[in-house]
Amino acid sequence: MNDHTHESHDHHHEESFIRKYIFSLDHKMIGKQFLIFGLIMFMVGGGLALLFRWQLAWPDRPLPIIGFSKTYQETGEVATDADRKWEERFDDDKETWLETNMPGGVIDPAFYNSLFTMHATIMVFFVVVPLLVGAFGNFLIPLMIGTRDMAFPVLNMLSFWSNMLGGLIMMAGFFVPGGHAAAGWTGYAPLSSVAEYSGVDWGQNLWCISLIVMGISSLMGSINYITTIINMRAPGMTYFRLPLVIWSLFIVAILLLLAFPVVASALALILFDRMAGTSFFIAAGGGEPLLWQHLFWFFAHPEVYILILPGMGMASEMLPVFARKPVFGYKSMVFAMIAIAFLSWIVWGHHMFQSGMNPALGASFMTTTMLIAVPSAIKTFNWLGTLHRASIRFTVPMLNTLAFVSMFVIGGLSGIYMANSPVDIFIHDTYYIVAHIHYVVFGGSVFAIFGGIFYWFPKMFGRHMNATLGKIHFWITFLAFNGVFFPMHIIGVGGHMRRIANPMQYEYLQPLQPINVFITICAFILGVAQILLLINVFWSIFRGKVAEQNPWQANTLEWHAPTPVPHGNFGAIPQVYHGPYEYSVPGAETDWTPQTQPNGESLHGEPIPVGASAD
Amino acid sequence: MNELEHTSYEQAEGESRPISNARLAVLVLLGAEIMFFAGLIGTFLVFRLGSVTWPPPSQADVRLPIGVTGLNTIVLLLSGYTMFQGLRAIRQGRQKELRNWLFATGLLGITFLVVQGSEWIRLVHHGFTLSSGVYGSVFYVLIGCHALHVLVAVLWLLVVFAGAIAGRFSMNRYVSVEVCAIYWAFVVVLWPLLYILVYLI
Amino acid sequence: MKWLNFPAWLPENVSTFGQGVDNLFILIYWITSIVFLAVMAVLIFFIIKYRFQEGRKAEYIEGSTTLEIIWTAATTVIVFGLAMLSLPQWNKIKFPSQFPGNPGAVVQVNGKQFNWDMTYPGPDGEWGTDDDLQLENQLHVPVNEVVHIRLTSDDVIHSFFVPQLRLKQDALPGRFINMWFEATKPGQYEIPCAELCGFGHSGMLGYLTVHTEEDYAAWMSERWSE
Ligand code: HEA
Ligand code: HEA
Ligand code: CUA
Ligand SMILES: [Cu+2]
Repeated sequence: MNDHTHESHDHHHEESFIRKYIFSLDHKMIGKQFLIFGLIMFMVGGGLALLFRWQLAWPDRPLPIIGFSKTYQETGEVATDADRKWEERFDDDKETWLETNMPGGVIDPAFYNSLFTMHATIMVFFVVVPLLVGAFGNFLIPLMIGTRDMAFPVLNMLSFWSNMLGGLIMMAGFFVPGGHAAAGWTGYAPLSSVAEYSGVDWGQNLWCISLIVMGISSLMGSINYITTIINMRAPGMTYFRLPLVIWSLFIVAILLLLAFPVVASALALILFDRMAGTSFFIAAGGGEPLLWQHLFWFFAHPEVYILILPGMGMASEMLPVFARKPVFGYKSMVFAMIAIAFLSWIVWGHHMFQSGMNPALGASFMTTTMLIAVPSAIKTFNWLGTLHRASIRFTVPMLNTLAFVSMFVIGGLSGIYMANSPVDIFIHDTYYIVAHIHYVVFGGSVFAIFGGIFYWFPKMFGRHMNATLGKIHFWITFLAFNGVFFPMHIIGVGGHMRRIANPMQYEYLQPLQPINVFITICAFILGVAQILLLINVFWSIFRGKVAEQNPWQANTLEWHAPTPVPHGNFGAIPQVYHGPYEYSVPGAETDWTPQTQPNGESLHGEPIPVGASAD
Repeated sequence: MNELEHTSYEQAEGESRPISNARLAVLVLLGAEIMFFAGLIGTFLVFRLGSVTWPPPSQADVRLPIGVTGLNTIVLLLSGYTMFQGLRAIRQGRQKELRNWLFATGLLGITFLVVQGSEWIRLVHHGFTLSSGVYGSVFYVLIGCHALHVLVAVLWLLVVFAGAIAGRFSMNRYVSVEVCAIYWAFVVVLWPLLYILVYLI
Repeated sequence: MKWLNFPAWLPENVSTFGQGVDNLFILIYWITSIVFLAVMAVLIFFIIKYRFQEGRKAEYIEGSTTLEIIWTAATTVIVFGLAMLSLPQWNKIKFPSQFPGNPGAVVQVNGKQFNWDMTYPGPDGEWGTDDDLQLENQLHVPVNEVVHIRLTSDDVIHSFFVPQLRLKQDALPGRFINMWFEATKPGQYEIPCAELCGFGHSGMLGYLTVHTEEDYAAWMSERWSE
C-alpha cells in the first residue's frame, strides 16, 4: 500500500500542550473542540434571541440595564420612525456602538434585523452543524466503526480551525461600520446584494465570506468522514452492522459535500455583485433575483435535513440502549434516511411557493415535499416500535430522546401545513414557520444534542454528568421550550409576520400581543435553564463521578474502548460479529451483547441466537 | 512509519480496500467540484435560456474568440492525453518517461492559461468586462472559475513534477501522481462542456 | 380550549377563495391532530406500561415487515390524497389562466422601500397615460367584484399580504406578477409587507379599503371628476 498522503509521524511522542489541546490531530480532541465551540456559540446565538425577544414583547421599551440611557430619561420616549433611520444610516458621525444599534436602549429596527439574521446563522451554521456533525461525528465515527483515527487527521484539524475562523469572521461583522448582515439567514437578493438597499456594507460581505470558509471546513470534514467510513471499518463491520448514527453521519457527509458547493457558488456571485459591479441578482442590470433563492434553497433544504439526520441517528442509538431492545426495523431505518436524503434534493421549491416562480412548479414541489412525510413516518413509527414491550430506563439521555421524538413529530406535522401550497399562501412568512423551525431544530436537533452530550460524556471525559441537575435542566427546558414555541403556532395562524421588529404597528396583531409577552417570559426561563447545562458540562469535566468503561451497558464499539480513551482508541482493532442492537437476546446471560462478542458464544458456551439484523 | 500507522496498514490489508484513502478522497472532492460548477452552469443556463437573444442586445457587438479558444481546447485535451501517458509510464515503473510526460502536461496547461489570459486582456480592451451586464458577468465568472481550477491543477502538477525529478515515484508508489491525474482529468473534461456552452451555443 | 384549536385563530375571511384555503387548513388540522394524538397516546402508553420494572425483561423484537408496509402505505395514501385535493385550490388562486375575467378594478401595485404605491390606470384602462392615479398605501376596490392586480417592485423583494383575503404574493423587481381576489365584505384591511425588505420592513403597511358598490362609484367619480 502506498496511499499515505498524511503525515502523523510524531503521534507517539509526549505531546506538548499546543499539540494536545489546540492543534490536536486526535479525532477525540477535535470532537471535544467542536463541542465546546458549539456550546459557546449556542449561548451567543441564544443570547441574541433573548435580546430580540425583549423587543418583540415590549416594543420600543428600553432594554434592562443597557437601556436606561440619558435620552430615554430626558424625553421618556424613543422615536423609531423608519424615515429618520434612513437618513441616519448614511451619516458618518455616528456615536458609540451601543448608541448606533440601540439608541436610547431600544433595539433599532435595522439592528433587530441583524439580530435575528445572526441568531439564525449562528444557530444553524455554528451551533447545530458543529455540534451534530463536528463534535459527534468526529468523536463517534472512528470509535464506532472500530478504527484508530480519521483517514486524514491533518485535514480534520484544519476542518476545525477553518470552522473557528469562519466563526470569528462572522462575529467580526457586528463591529464593522454599517452593522452586521441584516437580510435574514436566507440572505435574499437583491436586499443582500446591493449595499444601498439595506444600509449594510461590510457586514454582508463578511457574512458571505464566513459562510464560504465554513463551507470549506465542512468540505474537509465530509471528505474525511466519507473516506473513513468507507475504508476504515473494523473487520466484520459490514454496512448493515453500522450503528444508525454512523449511517446518518455518512449520509449527512454526502449531503454536505454536494450541497455546500452550490451555495458557495451563489455566495461568490453575491460577492461579485457587491464588490465587482456585476448584476447577477439585480433586475435592472439584466439579473434575476429568484436565481439566488433557487440556488440558496437547493442548498438549504438539504441543509435542514443535515440538521436533523444526525439527531435521528443519535435517537436511534439511545432508544434501544435505554429500552433494552433492538431498534425496530433496522434496515427500514437506514432506507428511510436514504430516502429523506434523496428527496431533500427535489423539494427546495416549497420555500418559494409565494416567490413568484412559475405556479406550475408549486404543484410538483408540493407533492414531493409531502412525500417526505413517508420516510419520516417510517422513522417515527419505528421509534415507537422500539418502545413496544421494552424495559425503559428514564435516564437523562432517554428523557431527551423521548422529547426529541415527540417534538419532532409536532415540527414535522406543522411542515405538512406549509407543504400544502394553498395553505402556505396564508402561513408563509408568519410565525407558523418560526414555530415549525424551532420544533424541528430545537425540539429535534437540540434535544438530540442534549441527550447525546449526556450519553457520550462518560466516554468523552471519563466522567459522568450530574443526573439530578440533568433532569432539572431537562424538565425546565422541555416545559419552557413548549411555552416559547407552541404559542407561535397561534400567533402565526393569527397572521403575525416573522421578521418584524414591532408587532404593535399592526392593528390586527395588537390583540395577540399578550401572547408575545408570554413567549418572551418563557424564552428567558429557557435561557436560564441553559446555564444549568453549561454548569453541568464544565463542572463534570473536572468534578463529575468517574465513569466505568461501559456505564450504559451498550453494544457499540465505542464502549469497547477503555475509558478514558487512549490515543489510537483500541488495544487491538476489535473484530465485529453482529449488528449493534442486540439487546435482550433470548438465552443470553446479560441483556446486552456487544458487537465484539462472537456469535453463538456466551460465557457458559450456550449458543446465542442472533437475529436478522446481525446479517 | 510509526506503530499507529502500521496497524491501520495491516487492517487495511486485511480488509482489502477496493480503493485507497487518497484516491477515494479525490473522487469525493470531485463530487463537490461538480456541484460547484453545476451551480455556476445553472446560473449560466438561467440567463441563457431566459433571454430571447444571446448575447443580449446591449452586448450584441461582443465577439468571443471562438477560433483561438477552439485551438486552446485542443491544447487542453492534449494535456489530458499526456497526463494519462505519464500515469501509464509510472505504473510500469518508467520514471524518466514520467518526467517527460509531466513536463509536457505542465507546458500544455500553462499554454492554455496564457492563451486564455491574453484573450481576456483583448476582450477587456474591447470594453467587455465583468460588469458589462450579465453576459460579461457569467462569461468571466464561469470561465474564470475554470481557469482558476486549471491554475490549481498546474500548481499541483508542479509539486508532483518536483517529486518526479527527485525520483520519489516508482511502480509501487505513484498515488500522488494518480490523484493529481484524476484532478487534471476533471479540469480537462469539464472544459469542452464549458466551451460548447459558453462559446458555441 | 381555544389554544389548541388553531382554526379559531384565523383572521376573519373576506375573500371568495379564502374559504377554500381555510377548509384545507382545517382538514390538515384534523389529520395532523389525529396523527399527533395517536402517536402521543401510543408513546405515553408504552412509556408507562413498559417502564423498567424489577423482574420483567424487554422482549427481543427486531421489527415487522407487515407493520412497516402498513404505515408506509397509509402515510403515502394520506399525503398523496392531500396533495391531489389541494391542487385545484392552488391553481384557482395562482394560475393566471384560471383567473376569473371581467374585473371590477385593475390596479398596479408597486412595492418600494417602504411603501406600497397603487396605480390606477384611469378610465382609459392603460397605465402610463395622463389619467393615471397614483396613491400611496391606499388601495380602494369594490366589494363582490373581481379585482386584478399587477404586482411589481422598484427595489428589493416585498410581499403583498392581506391576511383577511388569504392572499400573499411576493413582489419582484423587474417583473410583473398577476394576482386576483374578490372581497366579500366592505371595510378597511391592513396590507402588511411579509417579506424582509430592509430596516423599514416592520411597519411597511398599506390599507385596503373595500367599498360598497355605491361608495366605490362615488370614490371613482371623485377621483376622475372631469
Ligand atoms: C431540522 C430541520 C427541518 C426539518 C426536519 C424540516 C422538515 C420538514 N419541513 Fe421544514 N423548515 C425548516 C427546517 C426543517 N424542516 C426551516 C429552518 C425552515 C424555514 C426556513 C426559513 O424560511 O427561514 C423550514 C421551512 C419549511 C417550509 C417553507 C415554509 C414557508 O416558508 O412558507 C416548508 C414547506 O413545505 C417545510 C416543510 C417541511 C416538511 C414537509 C418537513 C418534513 O420533513 C416533516 C416530516 C415529518 C412528519 C410529517 C412527522 C412524522 C410523521 C408521522 C407521524 C407520520 C404521519 C404523518 C402524516 C400522515 C402527515 N419547511
Ligand atoms: C438551530 C437553530 C435554532 C435554535 C436553537 C433557535 C433557538 C431560539 N430561537 Fe430561533 N431561529 C432560527 C433557528 C434557531 N433558533 C432560525 C433559522 C430562524 C429564522 C431566522 C430568519 O428569519 O432569518 C429563527 C428565528 C427566530 C425568531 C423569529 C425572529 C423573527 O422572525 O423576527 C424567534 C422569535 O422569537 C426566535 C427565538 C428563539 C429562541 C427564544 C430560541 C431559544 O431556544 C434559545 C435558547 C438558548 C439560550 C437563550 C441561550 C442561553 C444562554 C444564556 C442564557 C446566556 C445568557 C446570555 C445573554 C442573555 C446575552 N428564533
Ligand atoms: Cu417591504 Cu417588507
Ligand atoms: Cu425545506
